[in-house]
Amino acid sequence: MKAERVLAGLSCSQVLASLTDYLDGELAPDARAALEAHVRACEHCARFGGVFAAVVRGLRERLGSAALDPGVGARLRTKLGAQLDAQLGASNERRDEPR
Amino acid sequence: MTASDRELLERSARGDRAAFGEFVEQHSANVHRYLRWLVDDPNDVEDLLQKTFVDAWRAAAQARADGGARTWLLAIARRNAGKWLARRGATREREQSLEELGELAGFGDAQHTPEQMARAAEERSLVEQALAALAPPEREILVLRELEGVEGAAAAELLGLSLAAQKSRLHRARLRLAAELRQRLRAEVDR
Ligand SMILES: [Zn+2]
Repeated sequence: MKAERVLAGLSCSQVLASLTDYLDGELAPDARAALEAHVRACEHCARFGGVFAAVVRGLRERLGSAALDPGVGARLRTKLGAQLDAQLGASNERRDEPR
Repeated sequence: MTASDRELLERSARGDRAAFGEFVEQHSANVHRYLRWLVDDPNDVEDLLQKTFVDAWRAAAQARADGGARTWLLAIARRNAGKWLARRGATREREQSLEELGELAGFGDAQHTPEQMARAAEERSLVEQALAALAPPEREILVLRELEGVEGAAAAELLGLSLAAQKSRLHRARLRLAAELRQRLRAEVDR
């Protein structure tokens, strides 16, 4: 990787590989401390770490709230209702038979 | 599974349609969103959405009490989408190294700042385009983990991956999304 260096015992590539674990709080305390020490001393990793976090945050915030399109919801209710009526009819017939 | 999900499914298993209707109301938006990002054809998405809830109704008595009801539903949805999943397996690109992905995502680019990316990520349509541009497996892991809030272990089980492979796919998918957003940002600046 261009601008690759080793700081606080970690290379930039190692920092890059650990960003998901770091962001998700899944790094062991000493690994976390080493990564933070590297990032404090490395402007590339500091900048890129910020970019990476902004991407994940943006994805969650922009697309994270689910609202069903009213048309889709209405069609689902209607068609599902009809299918379950058919199911219920079939299973009532089955229930008359001994198990 | 939350108490209310469990109760609704128990009542559904006894044939209570109103309870099942409530269960559908609570989860249909999430299941639809997942299918929408998994399957390209909107008509297929709606068919699969219905089929998922028909299957859920039939299987309500067997719904697993561990794990969330939503993960259970997403697994049903995924099974139903099997045809589409099989189709997408055909186009497999060379896997890029993490370093290559990092550089595409802007590592070492002094012009590419967190502030700039935060502004880009404010734009819903830009984020949607970037997500849509990902390979389906990468898109799926982001939808499951970031949008549907499925935990790593549950996502691994759903996808048939080891926990480590699931995590690696998530990491690569996040980098790929960052690269797609950066590419779009640069295209906007050039215009
Ligand atoms: Zn560095």
